[in-house]
Amino acid sequence: MMTPQAAWAKVKNPRVTWEKIKWTWLPGSYREAGDSIVKNFLLHWFPSKITRQSLSWNYSFWLGTISAVLFLILIVTGIPLMFLYVPSVERAYLSVKDLEFTISFGWFLRGLHRISAHLMVAVVFLHLVRVFLTGAYKNGTAVNQNRQLNWIIGVVLLLFTLLLSFTGYLLPWDQLAYWAITVGTNIASSAPLIGEKMRFILLGGHTIDQATLIRFYVLHCFFLPLGVLLLFSYHMWRVRKDGGLACVDHLSLEQKKQNAAPIKSKTYSLLGITNGRTVHVETSIIDADQHTVMSSPNLTRRIVLVTLGTLAIAALLAILFHAPLEEAANPSVTPNPAKAPWYFLWLQELVTDTTFTIGGITINGALIGGIILPGVLVVAAIIWPYLDKSPVHAVGVWFATERRKQNLIFLVIVAAILIFTVIGTYMRGPFWNWYWPWQSWPTMPRKF
Amino acid sequence: MRSRKSGSDNDETLAGKRPVEQVTNGKTNLSRRKLLTRLGLGATVLAVGGQAYAFLRSLVPNVLYENPQRFKVGSADQFSEGARFIDDKRIFIFREKNTFHCISATCTHLGCTVKMNRVNQGKQVSVRGRQINEQVEFACPCHGSKYYGDGTNFAGPAPKPLAHFKIEIAPEDGQLVVDTSQTVSQDFRLTI
Repeated sequence: MMTPQAAWAKVKNPRVTWEKIKWTWLPGSYREAGDSIVKNFLLHWFPSKITRQSLSWNYSFWLGTISAVLFLILIVTGIPLMFLYVPSVERAYLSVKDLEFTISFGWFLRGLHRISAHLMVAVVFLHLVRVFLTGAYKNGTAVNQNRQLNWIIGVVLLLFTLLLSFTGYLLPWDQLAYWAITVGTNIASSAPLIGEKMRFILLGGHTIDQATLIRFYVLHCFFLPLGVLLLFSYHMWRVRKDGGLACVDHLSLEQKKQNAAPIKSKTYSLLGITNGRTVHVETSIIDADQHTVMSSPNLTRRIVLVTLGTLAIAALLAILFHAPLEEAANPSVTPNPAKAPWYFLWLQELVTDTTFTIGGITINGALIGGIILPGVLVVAAIIWPYLDKSPVHAVGVWFATERRKQNLIFLVIVAAILIFTVIGTYMRGPFWNWYWPWQSWPTMPRKF
Repeated sequence: MRSRKSGSDNDETLAGKRPVEQVTNGKTNLSRRKLLTRLGLGATVLAVGGQAYAFLRSLVPNVLYENPQRFKVGSADQFSEGARFIDDKRIFIFREKNTFHCISATCTHLGCTVKMNRVNQGKQVSVRGRQINEQVEFACPCHGSKYYGDGTNFAGPAPKPLAHFKIEIAPEDGQLVVDTSQTVSQDFRLTI
């Protein structure tokens, strides 16, 4: 215990006082320095070393990281928007109008939120395409991998992203919103047996009204983001458990083939740490310096770069392209043409083209194009990793020859979706008639 | 953590020494511990399940504050010959001399409001095995379904004709009354 005199002598000493006032980021001891690394969330999250190929720009294109950054932007911009938006049918449209025209930088908040949502749909989809084409949903050489499960989590995350976008563009309660809910919930009601009930629960009644708006609002602001957050956490944890990106498995296979020298190995028993088997640790040559680097600063630096780059591009796009706001919702007038956002136009085209009459019974395109076909796509995506029996050499390689056929099928499906999207975007005019981009649309009366 | 785990291991060994099931008179009796465990678990499941049901049930409305499905659209003499769109009700009222009928404006494909296009000088079409001279046709802006003047679908993804609603005369003031909860055949006509 310091005597009061000694304490006062210390305070009086200007150097000591200055040191106390001045904040320092420098660790006070080696232990503190060590702790700061152990306790650092990011460094805890990342491995200590990482292969150069995992870091490369042109293996993964960093699409997963970009999606995560976009989700972060969406949360950060979403919070002030929750203070400014009023989820009531009388006020919703006016509060979005206020955001655009009277609130300082309201247009920027809304624009950044909207553009990030659009980018997230695109980037998450591209991420799925990348994972498929590199066969990265397949287990490689390491033990206890379950990449199939992580692929399924990823597919669910894509569905959540689409649901978040859908519930998001309803909120302004403009014409786009109103007719999107009309079409969306009618697709749900075309499901056999439970369809009508489902529509009732979604709308909170028989008509689109206040109960509907508040339902979609709570889903958009609470349940769906929470779901994404939980699934994303598990997704990242699995990536670590599965030994990082799939290209690492390929690299270690290549190494084993080339290297004739004996590999050092040691078997550890796990004693009381966990139940079950012992671990067999091989010193892998991929740990060698020509293949790996330290995560700090190499990985952290790139993550910061990708984060800043994504934010810069999203912010620039938000400034360049103002978020549109259609006329206030009007149940008696459907806009002509009434188009969904671009990422749903392939579905809009699909429900247009899939009404069939077989043996006198007409099946609504809403059921075939709106529920059955997308359902088949999702189920196919979920079970695909279990059907893919290609050899382990095909893991983590772009366009592996062993997976040529399935990559081709996958690309045909992706191309079909893109073609339908392009048709819906550029070739459809009033009454959903076909117009070439160089043809002008006839002028249509707003009402009758 | 570990010490707690080893503690529970001890309990298990103690429990192992006690008779889990007693056999008396050929019947199997539960031990007191097992019975209480099951009761506790059952009560927990019941309590959590019941409250989860209460939470979900509250989201299914019991009372709907929606517009009535049966409403007046005005007296017969306010309608001139031909079709008129009642926009806030999303219906078309047709008058042919002294007969009236009502066709829904809700597309049977995915529920958008169809638009009415007037046909110049009428158009002869054969619908349902009959020749009719129609003055209007309907087209949907969302997915391009098309309907003849009597509501029969002929192009696009619509799976069935537009609904026809029952129309009648209100006994108290003679106004036309439409009931959108009652669909009628395409040949239904109200004659005044």
